[in-house]
Amino acid sequence: MKPILRAVRLTKVYENEGVRTPALQGVDLEIVPGEFTAIAGPSGSGKSTLLHLLGCLDKPTAGETWLGERRTDQLDDVSRAHLRLREIGFVFQAYNLIPVLTALENAAFVLELQGVPREERNAKAMAALEALGIAELAHRRPNQLSGGQQQRVAVARALAAQPRVVLADEPTANLDSKAGLSLIELMKKLNEERGITFLFSTHDPRLLEHVKRIIRLEDGRVVADERVGAA
Amino acid sequence: MWGLAWRNVWRHKTRSFVAGGAVAVAVVFTLVFFGFVTATMNGMVEVLTSESGHLQITHAQAKEAQDFDARLIRNAAEVEMALLKELRGVRLRRLLEVPALISGETRARGAMVVGMEQDEALGERFAREYVAAGRLPAPGSWDEIALGQALAKALQVELGDPVYVFAPGTDGWGAAAYTLVGLLDFPQTSHEIQAAYLSLEGAQELAAPGAVTRLQVHLAAERGAPTDALVEETKARATALLGEEVLVETWREASPDTAALLDMMDPVMTVFSFFIFVLAGLMVVNTIYLSLVERIREFGVILAVGADRWRVMRMVVAESLTLVLAGTAVGLLAGGLLIASWADGFRMPGFDEVMAEYGLPLVLYPSVTPVQVAVTVTFAIFTALAAALWPAWVAGRLQPVEAMRHAA
Repeated sequence: MKPILRAVRLTKVYENEGVRTPALQGVDLEIVPGEFTAIAGPSGSGKSTLLHLLGCLDKPTAGETWLGERRTDQLDDVSRAHLRLREIGFVFQAYNLIPVLTALENAAFVLELQGVPREERNAKAMAALEALGIAELAHRRPNQLSGGQQQRVAVARALAAQPRVVLADEPTANLDSKAGLSLIELMKKLNEERGITFLFSTHDPRLLEHVKRIIRLEDGRVVADERVGAA
Repeated sequence: MWGLAWRNVWRHKTRSFVAGGAVAVAVVFTLVFFGFVTATMNGMVEVLTSESGHLQITHAQAKEAQDFDARLIRNAAEVEMALLKELRGVRLRRLLEVPALISGETRARGAMVVGMEQDEALGERFAREYVAAGRLPAPGSWDEIALGQALAKALQVELGDPVYVFAPGTDGWGAAAYTLVGLLDFPQTSHEIQAAYLSLEGAQELAAPGAVTRLQVHLAAERGAPTDALVEETKARATALLGEEVLVETWREASPDTAALLDMMDPVMTVFSFFIFVLAGLMVVNTIYLSLVERIREFGVILAVGADRWRVMRMVVAESLTLVLAGTAVGLLAGGLLIASWADGFRMPGFDEVMAEYGLPLVLYPSVTPVQVAVTVTFAIFTALAAALWPAWVAGRLQPVEAMRHAA
């Protein structure tokens, strides 16, 4: 199967006031459709940077990134924004919902950016909320939801537009262990039932028991690529 | 986008109320300013035209002529009949202005003796405006005179006293005695010290039988003051009718300084209002920029999930427009109600003397035209766009990863 995400000798070096800090050093990686993959590693190992580069949020210092058949590391800002909008779903550590919008409106936000008519986007967003088991919370604002509920809304926002891949940067880091585990199980269920490709970063070893593949990073390098569980 | 902008605007209610309130105050101030200046301008035109007519007809060489005779329109009756026949609905005031020496029992002064005849409505208005005591000379009377109060004081004469007028070198009697029947109170003291009024017939017998020096044409419009177009059109008809022996001037031509002043008011008003909106705009810039700075992470997320920089800039502009247009709507409502409350006229207590001295009406009728409302709204929209420019530019330059790491 052709990879949906690919990194080739991917390198990222941050420069701040003349100080160079390497975040990724020649990472090679392929993710095929339908995978449920975790990027594991300690803080500062480059997990978030790798997700940002694969998700067209940032540009590498060297190397290549690919989304399907398309090389993305050389695209301009507008083209990368277009790819993020149409092909990639994002979930962030701090939920990052828009506080003045309801859960339904947050879930529909990416669809609104895509220009989907209101009725259609509300229907799709509601379906995403139902899939995540929070349809009854559709009209609540983020400040009326628990952390776990907010992160489910964030996942619903990522899924509602039916992207080719969902990238999640430490999605459970702000949740208690029970809520974190529940979210990962939900994501895994969506992966298994709908074939949605998930790639997420975590430093919580308990969550790694639920994934099919673990890519371990240390100091910006892939030190292990393990296929586990039911894969 | 607009719904989101509306909700974002009210995240910080106090700040938005202050900025939106500043816009509302700017709109109210602008409308009231437009209303009062327009009312003042209209009032000045009304005062001016009620005194001098919308058109003035004089002898073609009257301005250059040194001699009294050269300023006379001798066929006044023919001219008057032709005008009334051709220009239906107009009202005429006929004037014979005679430079003369005027004296009481003990004192004498140089004065401009004016013989005046006019239709009833103009006469009533003149009497209402200017007669302080007694009355105007009766139409057709040969022995009655009214004087400016200052002139009467200078001559030491009172109502009922004899007044003597000498106009040597003219075609009439050249001298006559009159009884003082009225005292006139003019806003301009310089006019009051020279003003002496006879009936037209009385003045003609004194100086120029059958002649006038000036005919004033007063136009009436269905609503409000006659437009400049109507005045110009009437002038063209009168000129064609009367030929080259007379000079027909509009009130603008006859009073070029006043006309220039009035023409200057529109641009002055516009510039003044513009600066008011600039001040309000600074409040809006502050509000929108602070709102942006506090939500850098949120904008980072919006960029991350796929919004391009133009979309983000549009969101900032939409918030600015929402805030300003909300303030504008409130301002239009408040300003409209305020102006409507003055529909029956606004009289500034204690300022009658000042208003009269400057040739202004004592009662103002503030109103705004659709064009003035459109100018106000245009300024508001311009304010919103200008205020959003800098914040939108900052938002458009955000990089999603850096923005999401931003600590508010």
